[in-house]
Amino acid sequence: MKSFQYLAPIPVFDYVVPGNLQELFQALDVHGRKLSIVAGGTDLMIALKERIITPEVVVDLGRLRKELGGISSGGGVLRIGCLATFSQIESSPLVARYADALRQAAANVGTLQIRSIATLGGNLATASPAADSAPPLIALGANVTLASGFGERKIPVQSLFTGPKRNGLRPGEIVSTIEIPATEDVWSSWTRAAVRNENVLSTVSVAVASTIHDGTFGPSRVALGAVAPTPILAEKASVAMTWADATAQTAYSVAVLAAEDSKPISDIRASASYRRRLVSVLTRRLILQLISEVAVP
Amino acid sequence: MTSEVRVSFTLNGEARSEEMEPNKTLCDFLHDEAGTTSVKKGCDTGECGACTVLLDDMPVTSCLVLAPQINGRDVVTAEGLGTKSAPHPVQQAFVAKDAVQCGYCIPGMIVTLSWIYEHAPGASDAEIKRLMSGNLCRCTGYIQQIDALKSALKRT
Repeated sequence: MKSFQYLAPIPVFDYVVPGNLQELFQALDVHGRKLSIVAGGTDLMIALKERIITPEVVVDLGRLRKELGGISSGGGVLRIGCLATFSQIESSPLVARYADALRQAAANVGTLQIRSIATLGGNLATASPAADSAPPLIALGANVTLASGFGERKIPVQSLFTGPKRNGLRPGEIVSTIEIPATEDVWSSWTRAAVRNENVLSTVSVAVASTIHDGTFGPSRVALGAVAPTPILAEKASVAMTWADATAQTAYSVAVLAAEDSKPISDIRASASYRRRLVSVLTRRLILQLISEVAVP
Repeated sequence: MTSEVRVSFTLNGEARSEEMEPNKTLCDFLHDEAGTTSVKKGCDTGECGACTVLLDDMPVTSCLVLAPQINGRDVVTAEGLGTKSAPHPVQQAFVAKDAVQCGYCIPGMIVTLSWIYEHAPGASDAEIKRLMSGNLCRCTGYIQQIDALKSALKRT
């Protein structure tokens, strides 16, 4: 399907490299011409080569690393700029401290070569159901700021995803910043199943964020990837886990609910029923890990 | 007609300024135009690692980079790591440990391993394998290359 197309060069496009945010938002106003934005480019380049997209204008964010990059914390929030790369996220002490599930997922994205250039903003905007950064962010209650020439709006990460490879960005809008509540005592972790360990799309991924006080789970979120048209918050599982006893029994019952929350399909990587089973197993593993690491220090 | 764009960058330590077609990949530019033929096109989809170069001191698959994205940045290929008379320790170790068979993956492999040599010299075997998982080799089975890295690091 694709190999012979690769012999032909990528169709030509106008290439724009804004030097500041004002120029960026002007550049995004393309009057109906087909537009693509390049951050790291690891998803975009495949889509260009396979002719999945044929933009007339490509806007490169490469000169905006100061404005749109960086990882910082303050005011109870961990802020990650859309141009932060997975390598930067993987090695950030702030991410390890406040959002360890995201650090774990970042360390498993693609390969070293992909993580070196692929960005968090790009991963979210591409809106793959299997986006590995999404379940940790959803579990941690993260918001994304969407910016355009007309201002900004802030929405929960899961609301950005509207369907497989479909995002809720309006014309002229970009994912600019990812904000994660920065609370010292929140424990979070991420795991996945895949056909091999490295350089692979997740078959199923799960993230859990919670706390334990006096033998009881605090506000908890279970989030799932690659088991629905978008990454999702497992609502029944999250509600059941919140304020439940921090016991193995709870881990088992929440895991069953998480599988019920999932809506997987069968594809080349796994069948729907196998994916549902994986959701249950991986969710249970994470909650048991939480109990062993937090309740029994 | 493609409108070319002016791109300034350093390649293997040398400052350069070139007109580039924006729809060309960095891999094609480096191999076909810049003279750095160590940069090999393998899969052209970012899976195999044969086109790995350092971009601002991070390994990237140059087939997934648009050539003008290197504007203002620093690019190093295997040619920039060492010379025949003064090879990089990893290059030297590849020769000493017979870590080469057909050779197609080797420049990209050496770029990645040189990065591990500089930035993760204490990596465990499992961590080395994780970090080099983006460089596929059809011939060797990887063992000689891991041995070569460890001997360059004087860990064997």
